[in-house]
Amino acid sequence: MILYDFDYERPGTLQEAMSLLRNSGVDARLLAGGTDLLPNMRVQNLKPALLISLGAIAPMPPQAGEDGSIRIDALSRLADLENSDFIRREIPLLAESAHAVGGNQIRQSATLGGNLCQETRCLHLNQEHDYQFAAPCYKRGGDCCYPYPGNKPGSCWSVYMSDTAPALIALGAEVEILGEEGTRSVPAERLFSGNALTPLLIARSEMIRSLIVPAAPAGFGWGYHKSTLRGGLEFAMANMAVTLRLEDDGETCAAARIVVGAVSEGPLRASSAERKLVGKALTAELLSEAADDASDEINPLPHHGFTRNYLRENIRVYLRRTLTAALERASGGII
Amino acid sequence: MNHLHSQAAEDAAGQAHNGSKRRSRCIALNINGELHEITVQPRKMLIEVIRETVGLTGTKGSCLSGTCGACTVLLSGRPVLSCITLAVECEGKEIRTVEDLAQGGKLNALQEAFLDQGAVQCGFCTPGMLMSATALLERHEKPSLAQIKKGLEGNLCRCTGYNAIVDAVLQVSDQGVLPVMK
Repeated sequence: MILYDFDYERPGTLQEAMSLLRNSGVDARLLAGGTDLLPNMRVQNLKPALLISLGAIAPMPPQAGEDGSIRIDALSRLADLENSDFIRREIPLLAESAHAVGGNQIRQSATLGGNLCQETRCLHLNQEHDYQFAAPCYKRGGDCCYPYPGNKPGSCWSVYMSDTAPALIALGAEVEILGEEGTRSVPAERLFSGNALTPLLIARSEMIRSLIVPAAPAGFGWGYHKSTLRGGLEFAMANMAVTLRLEDDGETCAAARIVVGAVSEGPLRASSAERKLVGKALTAELLSEAADDASDEINPLPHHGFTRNYLRENIRVYLRRTLTAALERASGGII
Repeated sequence: MNHLHSQAAEDAAGQAHNGSKRRSRCIALNINGELHEITVQPRKMLIEVIRETVGLTGTKGSCLSGTCGACTVLLSGRPVLSCITLAVECEGKEIRTVEDLAQGGKLNALQEAFLDQGAVQCGFCTPGMLMSATALLERHEKPSLAQIKKGLEGNLCRCTGYNAIVDAVLQVSDQGVLPVMK
């Protein structure tokens, strides 16, 4: 049970939902799968006065555009994405990242848009309200930080843990956001502020409507890894998504994207490691060096008991393997 | 007497215009094929309605935060966590709980297989395990070992070490696992 009363509306159309969101005059939130919002309301990290359920609005099936890009409804359930033959064939990286989220029951309820809009997490924030210290921390509107007492005033070092966000950034997806003045579109990587207090650059009157994933070019390969303690039903220690594109010669790297998530206030791109790969023939040594560079560049935030050194090593090792898998896929080794 | 009665009615009317009563909604939930008309506040989770209002206590609540899977029920055939699902969200959907499995006082084949394999120890995770396994078996007639492990990934068990549970699903899907208990 949620320990305070709130209002609930279940509009039949998206237009009604958006008009409620704008005009309700109270702190309103959209409710999709609820697997992140409701537990956060239970521990009173979030206390919206009105929930606007999107449950009556059916998601549209994924659609291929004329340019080969694929539009995915943000209300698509993660389980439907990971089990969709179309998504598994056309955007396997997205299917894999959706498959990595939580446990089966979570994925049956949770939506792709909701996964992107999840709250940041830290050992203090995740606790029941009863166990919290009397004074709220910066994230809860207070004036202290319990995990990092020396933290600069007003800054929060909680971690954004979406498993699908790194995959969407690596794929170069565009995010369509429905707002007061129609729809605007931003690249997935520009969705994140890098500030854990407000991790997403989306206004409260806006909603993620759909994700547009560009067509995979020739010579495309991908890799995905989520580091976890027990391999299921948990948040990541670190997650990483890699996409590579090879030139027609099948060796030279034409483009690379390396994204590491769950170790910072938002997903991070390892730009210098990407630059190291582009224009060169990809060898095992080069990939290994790129993984080393990325691990240095990322500077992970210690979280949930994992130290910075440990996370650096974790990223170094698994990024090397993820890059290797991406290269094998790009050169036709594994499908 | 009349005076008292009208006073009570006035109080009820007064409550209806302020506080939580105003927010209550009347919904009809289809649980195990039976329609239950209930008045519920939006903040009530499905598990509370199932256990406390309807009185079906087979579904267990453990972590109440979506991390253990004990409260799994089937919502329109999907296994979901009733502890992080609002009851008001479930109107018009078919809800199935563990009580739906046994028919006429007789356990179904999956429940028998759990007994045959000793897949039940303390029993607290069992209703959730059974519902997750039911959803899995409705999708895949003969699930592979990997599919079983992935299908039951969202259910934690502190006693059995999972092997007996996996064996029970293999047994009931007729994949060459024999009962170990008599």
